[in-house]
Amino acid sequence: MSEDQTALLNEVSDVLESVLNKKVELKPEMNIVNDLGLDSIAVMNFTMALEDKFDISIPLNDMASVVTVQDLLDTLQTLRSAA
Amino acid sequence: MSLLSKFQPLAARYDALRASGADPFSVKFDDIVSSVEGVLKGKRTLLFGTNNYLGLTFDPHSMERSIEAIRMHGTGTTGSRIANGSYDGHAELERAIADFYGRKHCMVFSTGYQANLAMISTLVGKDDHLVIDADSHASIYDASRLGHAPVVRFRHNNPDDLAKRLARLKDQPGDKLIVVEGIYSMLGDTAPLKEFVDVKKEFGAYLMVDEAHSMGVLGKRGRGLAEREGVEDDVDFVVGTFSKSLASVGGYCVSSMEGFEILRIAARPYMFTASLPPAIIASTTAALETLRAEPQRREKLTANSRRFYNGLKSAGFTVGPEANPIVAVIIDKVDVAAAFWKRLVDEGMYLNLALPPATPSHQAFLRSSVSAAHTFEHIDFAIELMTRVGREFGLLPENVHPFPPRIVTAERLSARAATMPVRRPAADVGAGMA
Repeated sequence: MSEDQTALLNEVSDVLESVLNKKVELKPEMNIVNDLGLDSIAVMNFTMALEDKFDISIPLNDMASVVTVQDLLDTLQTLRSAA
Repeated sequence: MSLLSKFQPLAARYDALRASGADPFSVKFDDIVSSVEGVLKGKRTLLFGTNNYLGLTFDPHSMERSIEAIRMHGTGTTGSRIANGSYDGHAELERAIADFYGRKHCMVFSTGYQANLAMISTLVGKDDHLVIDADSHASIYDASRLGHAPVVRFRHNNPDDLAKRLARLKDQPGDKLIVVEGIYSMLGDTAPLKEFVDVKKEFGAYLMVDEAHSMGVLGKRGRGLAEREGVEDDVDFVVGTFSKSLASVGGYCVSSMEGFEILRIAARPYMFTASLPPAIIASTTAALETLRAEPQRREKLTANSRRFYNGLKSAGFTVGPEANPIVAVIIDKVDVAAAFWKRLVDEGMYLNLALPPATPSHQAFLRSSVSAAHTFEHIDFAIELMTRVGREFGLLPENVHPFPPRIVTAERLSARAATMPVRRPAADVGAGMA
C-alpha cells in the first residue's frame, strides 16, 4: 500500500466514523457491507459524506461495484484524479 | 443454502416484530365501510392510514360512472395501449389532467409507482445525470436503478447541498434532472421548492416534482406544492398518482415540453404493462371533476390536518415539521412503536407503522393520514386515544393539557358506529362539509 493510499485510508476512516458515530478500524481487505455491517442506507450516507470530504461526485452506480475498502480507495483515487 | 436463504436476516426481523404481537404488513380488514371506517377483527375501526385525502372512495359520482363504464366498455383492456390501443376514456382523462394543470401534455400510467419508474428512467440517459433527494420514495430509487443515468443524492430538502452537488457536475456533459417531492410520504414535510427552483435555474437543470401526496391537498386549485409556491412555470414535469386524492389507482405525468409525446414509445413501464381498465379511468375522471368542483373538501382537509397535528403536538408528541395531512409521530425505538401501534389498532384506530429503512434516520413513525371525510369527532378521538396510550407508555409528560380539553370517548364513537348500516353507498356525500 502506497503512502498516498495510507493517508487516504485514514481520511476515509474519519469520514466513516463521523457517519456511524463510532470508532472503526479500516483495513484494505475488509468487505464494506459484511465486515462493517453497513446497510444500504448507511452506504449511501457514507457516499455523500465522502463526496463532501473530497469535493467529488460519486454516482451511486460507481459505488455498486465497490466491495472492499481497497476497491473504495481505488475508486476515490480515480475520481479525484479525474476531478 | 437455498434460493431464499439470503432473506434469513429479514425473516428474523419480521419474526421478532410478529413475536411482539404486531404485524403491520398483513393487516386484514373484514370490511371497509366508508372512506374513514373499516371493520378489523369484528371491531369498527377508524381509518387514519389510507392516504384517502379527499374522502372520495365512496363518492357516488365516481362509483356510478365507474359502474356505467364497466357496462359500456367491459372490465379490462387486456393489454398495453401501444399494443391493444387506447380507449376514448384514456385520452379523455389525459386531456382532463392536462387541463387541470394548464399543461400541454399528459401521460397516464397504470400506477403512480410506474409513473415515476417510466419518467425518471427514460428522461435521463447514460450521458445525463439524475440528482435526487436522499429521502426520496422507493419508486424514485427504483427508477434510478432502471435507468442508465449516473445518480447523485443530495441531503434532504437542502437547496445549498443540491447546489454544491450540481456545482461538482458543472463541467460534465449531459443534462441534469432534479427530482423532489411535494409532500414527503413519511414525515409529511414539504420541499423548499422556490429555493430548489433558484438552484435549478442557476445550473440550467430540469426539475421534476412528485406531487403524489400534495395533489388535491395544496394550492388554490389543488395542483400541489408547485402551485402553492407559485413556481409552476419552472417545474418541467409534475408526476402524481390517482391512488390518493383521486381514490382509485394509476399515475400520471404532465408537462408542456415540446416533443413529450415521443415518451409513449420510449418509456418501457408505459409500453409493456396493461393499461388502466375502463372502471378506473371513469372513476378517476369523475373524482377529478369533484376535486375541481368542491374546493371545500380541501379546506376541510386542511382544518382536519391542523387540528390533528396541533393536538398531538400539544400533547407532547414529537411530530414532523409541518401540519399537513400526513402526520407522523416519531418514536425512537422500533419495539415501542410496534407495541404502541398494536394498542391503537386494538382500540379502534388504524394507522401506519413506518419502520426503517422506509423511514429516514433509523426511527420508527406512527404515520397517520388525515382525510376530508374525518369529522372533528374522529380527529379528537384519535388525539385522545394516542395521548392516553402515549402517557401509559411513558412517552409523554403528565403535565400537559390534552387537546381538545373536552372528553371524547371511544365508547361514544363506537356506539355511533355500531348503529350504522354496513354498506352505505352514499356514506361520504358531502363528507365533513358541515
